[in-house]
This record gives sequence, structure tokens and C-alpha cells, in this order.
Amino acid sequence: MASSSNLTSSSGENSGHPESGSTGVERRGRVRPRRAAVMAVPATLAAAGLAVLTAQGALGVQFAISGMPFTVTATELNGTGFEQFGALDNMAEDSPNAGDTGGQVLVVTSAIKSATLTKLCQSVDLGGTNLLITAGSGATKVTATDLTTDSTELSGDAAFRNIEIGNDASTLTKAGVQGPKGVFSQQADTVRIANLRQTNYATTAGVFKLPGLKLRFSESGC
Amino acid sequence: MAHDTPVAARTAPVAPRPGPRAAFRRWRAGRPFWGGLLLTLGGTEILLTEKASLKVVLHIGMQGLAGYLLPALMVLCGLLTLFNPAQRLFYSCTGILLSLGTWLTSNLGGFFLGLLLGATGSCLVFGWLPDQEPRRARRRRRARATTAAPGD
Repeated sequence: MASSSNLTSSSGENSGHPESGSTGVERRGRVRPRRAAVMAVPATLAAAGLAVLTAQGALGVQFAISGMPFTVTATELNGTGFEQFGALDNMAEDSPNAGDTGGQVLVVTSAIKSATLTKLCQSVDLGGTNLLITAGSGATKVTATDLTTDSTELSGDAAFRNIEIGNDASTLTKAGVQGPKGVFSQQADTVRIANLRQTNYATTAGVFKLPGLKLRFSESGC
Repeated sequence: MAHDTPVAARTAPVAPRPGPRAAFRRWRAGRPFWGGLLLTLGGTEILLTEKASLKVVLHIGMQGLAGYLLPALMVLCGLLTLFNPAQRLFYSCTGILLSLGTWLTSNLGGFFLGLLLGATGSCLVFGWLPDQEPRRARRRRRARATTAAPGD
């Protein structure tokens, strides 16, 4: 910060010019297009490479979204290490989304250690238009690790193996996430949900590999 | 009463067009303003799309933290570009790498929008040079150079 004052002395390329402020012609800094292209061209190539690698499922991307509710659907979810417990999510103070809820939303937190999803679809309502992300409709499926979602609605046909129901949420072990003390919870070794549909409220964070990624705007959600 | 005229001349400063707008214009001319601003806005946009709870971030570890770290550093690079433009090359190179990195760590770069803003900003910062002649003068000088010394 301190060196901001000696900017003129640091611009060595053009030093030695006479002071021209009084002549009326103003000398300003300016973007030289060819110089900008030196960075823009490789950056565009790198961005395109990232997008292609993600669509092929070679690179995993990470999501940590929220602010507004969004919908996730998948025709099939298979997971190992499953936990579920109730929790309260607090909105930011004076949030416009609070309405009559007092700024708190009761959510179901689901955590899955590792999961594969077929035909994943995620949509966020942006008011009038939906941002739609689809992936995994081809041969390769979407894979996710440390998938944690806070949902207000969850539907589908579920099958669990080695399920324990009624644990205290603070003693969960299968996916490595612990809930608050004294809250009902359940956990299972494996989970399989067909026709999954979730309305997620506050948070999800996890590393996704999205083969066949498509990101677009659409009038209808998932 | 004849002494009034020099006083009036002294109040009008030597620099053309006084006032806060002209001062801002001069401040802007000395730094890659739009590039730094776009980079800052890009980082902010990505931060706004994120809200994983701290518990989850801590559980996932470094990879979860990176989702916040990269856009925060983008904002920092953008602000430093504005307030310490002498180091703009370093900030722009760091800024472009961070912008591209957010594709992996932060909601596909804030659903691509923040990534685009950050990358554009970084390129503008990289291409910016201080103390340039006005466009017309440069063109005229170049034309003169080609007619005077075609061998060069």
C-alpha cells in the first residue's frame, strides 16, 4: 500500500518524458490490447480445458451453494456411509427470505461419505428463470464425496443396509459429520434411493465429478 | 483594486478542471481501474454464491476452505491492483490463476459469472500500461515514423 505514491517512478518504460500536465494533453494509463491478449489467449484456452475436463468427469468440482432454495433430482443415488439428522439453519439477520419463519428453517441434514448419482439435475430459481445444471446422463455417472445437504423436502424410494435409527446426533460415525447433542438421528452403511428429489435449503458442500456437464438457463426447473 | 486579478488567477489552479470528479479521473488514470474493479467484483460474486456452514467446511478440510480462500484472494488482488498498482503484473498473474481455480473450488466459478469477470479483469490489468500518449498522438507519431524511416 505504501508504495502507491511512487507509481510514476516505477513506470520505468516511459520515464524521461517531460511533465506534460500543463500542456493540456493528458497522459493516462491505458490498456494495450495486444498486451492484454498475451494473457487472455492462454487464459481462454485454460478455461476451455477446465470445462472440457469437467464434462468428461476427469476433474471434480466443488459446490458450496446457497442463499435460496434449490432442487436436486436424480433417477438413482447409491451411497456408502449415510447419516441423517434434524437441524436448525439460521438465515442472515434481516434476510429478505425470512418471511414469517423468524429467520430459522428446520432442515434435515443428510451426509453421504461417497455417492454415485445417475442423471443428476440441479436447478436454482433466480426469479423468472432457472439456472439448470445437468450431468451424468451418459454412461459415466456423477460421483461425489463428502456430500452434505440440508433439505426441507426429500422424496424417493429408499433402501438402507445396517440402519441404526434413534442415535443421538452427536454420536454418528458413518459419514464423519456430527449433529447437535440430544437430537434424533439415523445412520446406515449403505443407502440406495431411486427417483430422488430434494429441496435443499441452506447448504451443500462436496466434491462432484460431473461427466456430461451442461449448464444452461431454462424456464422450468428440474 | 487592481490587485484583485492576481488573487483570482491564484485561486484557479494550474491543473486543468479542478473538483472531485476531475480528481477521481486523475486517480483513475494512474491505475488499471476497470481491471481491478472487475477482478474485485468477480471475487465478490463468487463469495455471494457460497454459504456452506463452517462445520461442513471444517469437516471437509483444505478443499472446503479453498472454496472461500480463492474468491477472497481474488478480491484482495483486485483491491491491491487499485491501491498498489505498481505491483499490477504480480496481481494480474495471481488473479487469473485464482479465477480459473474457482471453477473447481467454488460453484463452477460462481456459476461462470464470477470466473468471467475475474479473468477479464486480470487480462485488463495485465494489458494496462501507465503514462500512455493519447490515441491520436500515438497514431500520428507512428505514421510519421514509417514515412521518415521505412528501413527501421
